[in-house]
Amino acid sequence: MVNVLRLDEGIIKHGVDFALANGASYSEVRYHKNVSDSVLMRGDKIAGVGTEVKEGVGVRVIVDGSLGFGATNDLSREGVERAVKKALIRAKNLSPLRKTPIRFSEERLGKADYAVRFRKSLSDLGLEERVNLGKDLFRAVNESVKDAKVPVTMFELATSEEEKYLVTSDGAEVHSLIPRVSLMLNIILTSSEKGSLQRMMEFGGSGGAELLEDWRPREVVSDEVKRLEKVLLKGVEPPKEKVPLVVGSEVVGLIVHESAGHPMEADRILGREAAQAGESFVKVDMMRNYRVGSDKATVIEDPTIPGSYGYYLFDDEGVPARPRYLYKEGLIYEALHNRHTALLFGTSSNAAARAMNYSSEPIVRMSNTYFQPGDYSFEELLDGIRLGVFMKSYMEWNIDDRRWNMRFVGLEAYLIKDGELDLPVKNPVLEVTTKGFYSRVEAVGRELRFYPGTCGKGEPAQGVPVWFGGPDLRLAKIGLGVSA
Amino acid sequence: MRESIEIAEEIVKGLKTEFDDVTAIVTSKDESMVKIWNTEPSIVQSWIETSVTVYIAKNRRTLVLSLSIDDPSEIIKRVKAAGPALLKLEASDIYAPLPEPTEWKPIEGLLDRAIAKALDDPKDVAEAMIASALDRGVDRVAGTLDLVYGKRAVVTSKGFSGEEKMTSVEAYLRAFKDEMSGHWAYGARHLDLKSIEEVGDKAGYYATLTDRKADYTPGKYDVIISPLVVGNLVNYVGFMASAAAILMGYSMFLKYKVGDKVASEIISMYDVPRDHELPSSTAFDDEGVPTYDKPIIEKGILRNILHNSGTASKMGTKSTGNAGLIFPIPWNLRLSTGSLSEDDLAAELENGIIINNNWYTRLQNYVEGAFSTVSRDATLLVKNGEVVGDLGRIRISDKIGNLLKNASALGKTLYKIKWWEVETPTKAPYMLIRDVNITKPFA
Repeated sequence: MVNVLRLDEGIIKHGVDFALANGASYSEVRYHKNVSDSVLMRGDKIAGVGTEVKEGVGVRVIVDGSLGFGATNDLSREGVERAVKKALIRAKNLSPLRKTPIRFSEERLGKADYAVRFRKSLSDLGLEERVNLGKDLFRAVNESVKDAKVPVTMFELATSEEEKYLVTSDGAEVHSLIPRVSLMLNIILTSSEKGSLQRMMEFGGSGGAELLEDWRPREVVSDEVKRLEKVLLKGVEPPKEKVPLVVGSEVVGLIVHESAGHPMEADRILGREAAQAGESFVKVDMMRNYRVGSDKATVIEDPTIPGSYGYYLFDDEGVPARPRYLYKEGLIYEALHNRHTALLFGTSSNAAARAMNYSSEPIVRMSNTYFQPGDYSFEELLDGIRLGVFMKSYMEWNIDDRRWNMRFVGLEAYLIKDGELDLPVKNPVLEVTTKGFYSRVEAVGRELRFYPGTCGKGEPAQGVPVWFGGPDLRLAKIGLGVSA
Repeated sequence: MRESIEIAEEIVKGLKTEFDDVTAIVTSKDESMVKIWNTEPSIVQSWIETSVTVYIAKNRRTLVLSLSIDDPSEIIKRVKAAGPALLKLEASDIYAPLPEPTEWKPIEGLLDRAIAKALDDPKDVAEAMIASALDRGVDRVAGTLDLVYGKRAVVTSKGFSGEEKMTSVEAYLRAFKDEMSGHWAYGARHLDLKSIEEVGDKAGYYATLTDRKADYTPGKYDVIISPLVVGNLVNYVGFMASAAAILMGYSMFLKYKVGDKVASEIISMYDVPRDHELPSSTAFDDEGVPTYDKPIIEKGILRNILHNSGTASKMGTKSTGNAGLIFPIPWNLRLSTGSLSEDDLAAELENGIIINNNWYTRLQNYVEGAFSTVSRDATLLVKNGEVVGDLGRIRISDKIGNLLKNASALGKTLYKIKWWEVETPTKAPYMLIRDVNITKPFA
């Protein structure tokens, strides 16, 4: 084991056997520990320091064709047995309402032990060092503005370690340890004449404290604040006519997460998340034959990217992870599956089952989703555009519950005139359907960049770390709105 | 299993000699949730958990630890281990000593034995909710039924010690008929089967209201929003009324002060922690301060910002009993009512749009309140008082301040709403708002 479990492995294995002995046809027990440390600062002053330890076991059983989940943080043998019993009793009592029994697909399951390696341990990152970074970034923001005011900045640095040990009744046994770092900054710039502008910047990845150096946050923040001040003070309205739109990689990343990743989750396609997270415009019979975009539109989902925020090598059902093509050359291609949806689709799981913590059932989730890069430089994307817009970043966004009608409001954006960036543009709105977006992709940049996020889904809601990304893209002419 | 209050008291006793302030909050619960998919249960989830939050302060340095451990000696050991690093820090910017305890009055009726009984076998309740939707002729339903029996104990080093036992139910259902859908939700302390059936019935009602499609052009419309949509939007207003949201830059109230007009005079919005019907009701906050009901907005005027001791000290006022150790929170929200029935409201609308439900509310700028949100169930175009068809998914793109100021009529019935998009339980009516900006995709 790469780390010493607080819980005796034998108790976990006993939980699996105990469920089978009490009537389960399938059982799994997952020890899951999330430890996080965070510092919250308002301006250059500490607002809060926190530590969270969430440690327990999550149990799943199938009994009489009904699926039950039980979670407890009582890690004694009796505590685990009690969680198993509750899961069994309650699932059994609901089984008369099921018309078809729940079953899982047969899979080649993992027996593995892996950990993310780091150069600098998170335990070596002292509280003072964390606070000093917050102060540095506060200074970077304030020293970067000339005329605008900065009434509020908020800084949050969180480091975490996630350890899991999964045992299933059909042979999976996987232990993993993943450290992560995330940094978030909320900045408000105001001008008495031009109003205000708000930006939330995020950095995130798996690894150790070295990420805080790799990201060069002081430089990145300083450069961006200088540009945002110009947007606030000099921003003009977007053109009224339809224009080519160059969509920056940050916006592209969010678009593929929302309009390729989510609609390709098989549980949505089948309606399991219908009440809350919603359904999908994608239907089962669209796989590999429905055209959603131009042949330049390829979107990939890959949990195995080293250093990524959504990194894992085996999912929470013990299935080995691999890259998947969600959209391939404009075609709807491969849905994200767990072992239940895979069986219903008549295919194999592609390891998309993730649980946020021990209190959460594993459900179909994204990990790292990105638009496949092409071969254009940024200058080549702009080349030949007489009048257009470049939307580099965003604040407001949303999409409907079928993942079709979406909106992204640009924050840092510029006019493009005669192939070059010109005046900043204030709050341009890209409001477009999924097909409308992917069908308009006419040129794809070559530089792939990733951005972190916490993706929400599930009942109760589960937030899991993900990356989304892509290169800059050029869309054929489209109308743009203006934010209220 | 040990009582929550005993665990909390032992933690505070073990730490109070070493720190200036100590608070221990211990919550334990037995919870079961039935998730419904295609009219049958997809999973039954159970949680048997105890979690502990400890707040410590020394020389104005503060630390909050949240631990899923219920062994006081282990907790004390971990908190003490964190102490030395704490002292190296600078003082917290948002600190006040814990308040001296004052008398608190328990709230009657937080516990419903029927919920405790139904935890192991919620089949009949789930079935009743499903059946009432199917009675409307829908094709299928999806949703959840969540039942909780829990305890919450708060003990402080200043001598406050309080424990509450409570139950709650949260139910929501989405009903589908061909391409149409309807949605309803309910959250309360008590298991009232009639209200559970109403969830299915109203979801079924909206799913079957029309089978016609309608289209629209972007622009300004008069809109009736259902209590689900009202609940979602006022949850943002409640969040922004937290002093911490204002201090951190997440609030349109950065631009206002108490006494300013922020809404139409028909709008009053109260924080109601002592409303025993709503599932976050509590007699004391996380610092042991007694809670009380208070207006956030009254007749359109901003009346109160929500505080804990730290934010109150920072802003030169008193706690409002809304701690949240770091972030003050509204407990439950209640809106004012009007005099109109739902039919009267629709008649008042005459021409416009009725929105059953929404999701994905996001802000471009909290200070300006610029936001958009997307409808997700029945979205009905009304012409000359008649529903002419469903518009599909449309988007409200406006400012929250505009909506509050343009509210022109309220329904006379309050619904108890809680679901994924309405996290703070809210008693909300239907609301008619004039001149709401509606947008549409360009391609």
